[in-house]
Amino acid sequence: MRNSVTTAEGWLRPLWLGDLIADVNSEPAAPPARSDADPLERRAIARAKEGDPSSYGYLVSKYTKRVVSIAWGIVRNAHDAEDLAQEAFVRAYEKLPRFRSGEPFGPWIYRIVTNLSLDVVKHRTRFRHEELTPAEPAARRDNADLPAQTSEIARRIDAAVESLPRMQRVVARLHLVEQFDHAEIAQMTGISEGTVRSHLSLARKKLRKQLTDLYGGSDE
Amino acid sequence: MNEERFFERLREDAQPLRFELDALMTTRIAAGVRGRVSGQPNVTGVLARWFRPLAASMAAVALASLLGMIWLDRQSAPAVDALASTSSPVEIAVAGDVYSVNP
Repeated sequence: MRNSVTTAEGWLRPLWLGDLIADVNSEPAAPPARSDADPLERRAIARAKEGDPSSYGYLVSKYTKRVVSIAWGIVRNAHDAEDLAQEAFVRAYEKLPRFRSGEPFGPWIYRIVTNLSLDVVKHRTRFRHEELTPAEPAARRDNADLPAQTSEIARRIDAAVESLPRMQRVVARLHLVEQFDHAEIAQMTGISEGTVRSHLSLARKKLRKQLTDLYGGSDE
Repeated sequence: MNEERFFERLREDAQPLRFELDALMTTRIAAGVRGRVSGQPNVTGVLARWFRPLAASMAAVALASLLGMIWLDRQSAPAVDALASTSSPVEIAVAGDVYSVNP
């Protein structure tokens, strides 16, 4: 059996990776893949689809950082982001048989984690409506997880983005912080590209208003 | 500063806002996913999980039915005997005459 490595991160480690690489190299006639598809990724997906869960580790290690960052950007809580990332990977694994071979895994897992995170935020909003008294704050901002070295400018931007309405905030964060383009955001959030542009345009106006002193108000 | 330049600057300055996860969190996520994914049953496992309790229930019902039938059988057997014994007259022949006596 190939998954003989049993340490905490063993399934992501050289023996396993080497095994995958060997498999890719010995692949006789691989189907034409999309240009952005990583051959190791394709191989890992194919193996995981065949029922080899150890292969899935490559995908988890490759996408964890981005997936957690996306989740955190929406839910703003490190513990929730961790749970959501784990849940997203498990759900993606469960749905792997329906995943089209040759497609990159990234957009798919990003969409899953975005949807899960949005569900959490919606649930929180509903919960607050029911539970909170008017005297309590309407929004909880969890800035404790911001990197310690975050600059004052970045903190100002963060606060400005957080003050936006929910979908504008999500779209703005995905575009500004995670650097996704309009089409990618549309795919991740399940809204049309036009709506993404609209949210972004509104967000941009509000951000500009709030950050005037940061970048200068007048046109150069 | 024009709109485009403003947004470009904003994108540049917002990049440090990405969440930086530590090695511990990465390990926890990897271990959590591995644990849940490895424990996932295949088709045979799912079917077995459905059919096992079903088969056990059916076996219990069959056993109960069998025991019930045996019990009923035992309960009804003496009554039949009694019926048979009461319904059969005893015939006694005395000096060429036959007498029937109901017990």
